[in-house]
Amino acid sequence: MRIATSTIYNNQSASIDDLVSQQQQYGATLSSGKQVNVPSDDPTQIAQDLSVRTAIAQGNQTSSNVQSISAELTTVDSALSSLSSVMQKARSLAVQGASNALSPAQQQAIANQVDGLLQQAIGIANTQYAGKYVFAGTANPQQKPLLTSGQPVSGVTFNGNLNAQSQQLNNGQTIQTSLTIQQAFNYQSTDGSPDVFQTLITLRDTLSSGAVVDASAAAINKPSTSLIGTPVAPATSSLLSSANFATPLQTDSTGSASFTIASGLDPNGTTFTFTPASTIQNVVTAINAQTATTGVSATFDNHAQKLILTGAGSFQVKDAPSPGATNAGNLVEVFGVQPQADVVSNLSRQIGDLDTALAGVVNSRSVLGGNIQTITSIGDATDSQVVNNTKVQSGIEDADIAKVISQFSQTQTALQAAYGTTTRLEGKTLFDYLP
Amino acid sequence: MSFFGLSLMGKSLDAFQYALNATSDNIANVNTPGASRQIVDLSQAPAIVGSPFYAAHGPGTSGDGVTVSDLQRIHADSYDSLFRGASASQNFFSVQQNQLNALQGSLGEPNGGINTQYTAFQTAINQLVAQAGGGSSTSSRANVLAQAQALTQALNQASNTITMQKAQVFQQAGAIVTKANGVLDQIAALNQQIRASTAVGDNPNTFKDQRDQLIDQLSQYISTQTSIQPDGSTLVTVNGQALVNDAVVYHLAQPAIGTAADGTQTFKVDFASNPPAAANAPGVPLGSGQLAGFADLYNNKLTTYGTQLDNFASSLANEVNRVTQAGYDQNGIAGQALFQPIVASLPITAGNIKVGIANPAQLPAALASTAAGTLVVPLNSANNKVDTSAQINNNQTLANPPAAAGTTGTLTVTVDGAAQTFAYSSVAGGNADTIDNFISNFNGAHLGVSASFDVPSQRVVFARDPANTDLTHRAAQGANPTTPGFTIAELPAPTTGAGILAAVGAAGIDSVPQSSANAFGASDNGAANALLKIFSANVGVPALQTVSATAVAAPGINTIALPAGPPPVNNVRVGDVLTIDAGTANQENVVVSAININGAGVESITATFANAHIAAGFSVSSAQTQSLGQYYGQTVTQIGLDAQTAITGTQTQTNLTKNIDQVRQSIDGINIDEETQNLIKYQNAYQAAARTINVLDSLLNTVVNSLGIVH
Repeated sequence: MRIATSTIYNNQSASIDDLVSQQQQYGATLSSGKQVNVPSDDPTQIAQDLSVRTAIAQGNQTSSNVQSISAELTTVDSALSSLSSVMQKARSLAVQGASNALSPAQQQAIANQVDGLLQQAIGIANTQYAGKYVFAGTANPQQKPLLTSGQPVSGVTFNGNLNAQSQQLNNGQTIQTSLTIQQAFNYQSTDGSPDVFQTLITLRDTLSSGAVVDASAAAINKPSTSLIGTPVAPATSSLLSSANFATPLQTDSTGSASFTIASGLDPNGTTFTFTPASTIQNVVTAINAQTATTGVSATFDNHAQKLILTGAGSFQVKDAPSPGATNAGNLVEVFGVQPQADVVSNLSRQIGDLDTALAGVVNSRSVLGGNIQTITSIGDATDSQVVNNTKVQSGIEDADIAKVISQFSQTQTALQAAYGTTTRLEGKTLFDYLP
Repeated sequence: MSFFGLSLMGKSLDAFQYALNATSDNIANVNTPGASRQIVDLSQAPAIVGSPFYAAHGPGTSGDGVTVSDLQRIHADSYDSLFRGASASQNFFSVQQNQLNALQGSLGEPNGGINTQYTAFQTAINQLVAQAGGGSSTSSRANVLAQAQALTQALNQASNTITMQKAQVFQQAGAIVTKANGVLDQIAALNQQIRASTAVGDNPNTFKDQRDQLIDQLSQYISTQTSIQPDGSTLVTVNGQALVNDAVVYHLAQPAIGTAADGTQTFKVDFASNPPAAANAPGVPLGSGQLAGFADLYNNKLTTYGTQLDNFASSLANEVNRVTQAGYDQNGIAGQALFQPIVASLPITAGNIKVGIANPAQLPAALASTAAGTLVVPLNSANNKVDTSAQINNNQTLANPPAAAGTTGTLTVTVDGAAQTFAYSSVAGGNADTIDNFISNFNGAHLGVSASFDVPSQRVVFARDPANTDLTHRAAQGANPTTPGFTIAELPAPTTGAGILAAVGAAGIDSVPQSSANAFGASDNGAANALLKIFSANVGVPALQTVSATAVAAPGINTIALPAGPPPVNNVRVGDVLTIDAGTANQENVVVSAININGAGVESITATFANAHIAAGFSVSSAQTQSLGQYYGQTVTQIGLDAQTAITGTQTQTNLTKNIDQVRQSIDGINIDEETQNLIKYQNAYQAAARTINVLDSLLNTVVNSLGIVH
């Protein structure tokens, strides 16, 4: 076949161009270490590459979110740990104080220690993590959620709510990051047992002033019913004859029921008489009307469904026959109060309350431990997803360096050969041999 | 013996001289592009016949030496069209390769560019969701704004790059048209000279070489066909329309943006005419070559990428803004759109998008929700927990159980300017006979508000449903702006009983607008959560939420009109999937088979419907078939594929062109070795002829001077 002279030149220069551009491509791959530098390098994989990159970034963020959640859970856990030691200490003080042999000064000293524990418990309730009150629920108040009233503290008010703080991870999972004040401090408990603060306040007051509280041992309504007469009316309107009492009222022979409250102030006692048609409100009002005489006042805790009697010192409550009756009713049992209310019996009840609250804390800590485990495993799963995605990304993007180096040197050899061939081919023509 | 021999040899000297000249010319043009080799046709000179001298003295007529019969131009015309076709394709791909490579570089994928910013934006929101206080952290709020800003800038820049490239393509195509017109003029001039030379019997080989070379050059610009006319001139046509006919030139006009039959804007080149061709004239079919490469780039690549980026931006803005406008900021003020157009009167596109919120505190992260409100109270009676799967009628674990006969009525839920109703019944077997059934059926009605039961606080919580990805509420919302608050009312008054709101502890929200004041808690991060969900959810691209202006009387192929103006609908394209009549029994997805565009956007769409939609006003929205990230990934894949096709096409067509040229050159190309041989051949022949003359001369000398003198 004829080969035109220009074809020889053109072919040689074209193949040298090809080789140089190949070499440059391999050089670029080697210097970046990536085989995908622009979308056209691998269009079929580029979409996956982009989504994998996004997944890695999200995975890293999730991982850091998980770490922050984990740190928050640890903060809550250590708060609960402090709380349980506070309560154990309070319990041993209560045991210590539950002795009639202590002098008022000694009791006052113990009371002062309890007050210190109360302050600690309040401080724990106001624990913050990263500027957020961990026990405030989702209300996120800007100031301390647990405020105190009175000096010394006689009550607490809570500005948060009972919705557990939780966080959503970007995989849609929601994880509870803290406990509610109810879970941690038995505050507004579902079973009506007193919260940690009230228990400590009562304990302190009992020790310091001899004030005695006689409250219903448990909610006095029947489970799955409530002491509500009509839907929106207050609970205190329930009749004593209501079937919703856990213990039904038994009247005495006159069809009424009475009890007597006796105290140091009123050694002979004052008798209160009620008919089945009386309301709880009538009971409370009647007792309070005689406070000046008996030294005992009454309240009804709507939420806990408990009757609470408070005296300046020891007092007794016992069923008595109504005037003209031959037997007594069972009002004391209906209201679930103790017949004998004194400092020692009070303290032993408060030890029980502390034990209930402490059991709650232990339970809550186990829930928390579960959450810490869950979040750790989510963190691990996220990290391994990131590792997997990084592998996928590397598979798409990273060059096989050994292979590229070998291709690079092959090209280089070919290029050298092309240079040599070109100079030899183009160096000679028949003209060189003309005479 | 006569002088005849001298004359015969003199002719051969002439002939060899001629041949040597032709060879020299070939050698001189060895590197001239387009030069075809020329060979000298030598033939025996016609014999002198009928001479009595020869007849009497020998065997008869003898030869009269050599003569040059033709100076032949070796050129294979058949390979020209092959070469030009390949060359046109090569140039088609090569201009695309250059432009698309530049575009890929500017977009910066996968190492930088939009995807990186999009990812950073998601990460910032992910961080916001997780921040303490549910988005109360100023730094994470500021970070979301900063990343949103970076994302809009990346979008603006990509859009700008595409616009610039379109301008470049337009400009380069203009320069090519100018060059092509110049080439056409030269071809016409050469045609004229060739015709004139041919007419007088001349051999215009050089002119022909020049002309063929120019046509080769023209093939780089535009696909042409040529045919050699009997008079030697060439007819150059494009798709049957003459570009050069003999000496007459039909120039091309500068490129223009015309309007296709469906109303889309297209790049085209017309013939120059006065007046210029109409905007909707079809333009010259360019076939292949650089001009066609530019047209294809403009119409099918850059415009498409631009539209896809615009769709991505508008859909992103639409989804994100829905959530931010449904939320409340840190100060409890109704949220505003996070993404806003730079030029407010125009719809949001990749080039017309900015961040509309400057103050981090104004970033809406909270949703209207009764979760922390005071108007919703625990629904249990004291000391009880409610079994949500139990009958609610006369259930004493509820504070306000409906009576044994149950309660029935209608809730009217108003949100985003759309009032929808939910008829309930707590009668056994009714849709609200248990708390669970009430919640599931309420949510199933897609009212724009969702209900849930919070076990610890024993409350039914109602929350604004920001994204409404199921389209039903969006269809009801239509063009109404998204609002953060909502109202639930017992409207009309319950038919039986005290109503369901009283039973679920939500009597307090009856007819009371749920706003930041009485609804959401300060730490609510519902909006931030909803934002995060957008990125993994399938969304409609482009953003389209409108109603049909015409009905579909019967199933089958129908064209429905869309109302003009906002919401922007101008990015619907053929092949897009639309959801028709969302939330009704007739809901269906259709594929757009044709569109009709006017100045304001898409005026009507044509598709095959499975159902009739008798009344106009049914909803039309983009089907939610993919996530935003997937959509953008597809766009990048398309750009990568197009660039790869251009690169491969350039390589293939370059090789093909080279091979065809090699074959062509093997026929008409000049080879120095061959010419050297010819040179030697003709030189030797010339020397032999000259020597022969010398001999003849000596013979004559003998005859004339040396024969004996007559004394």
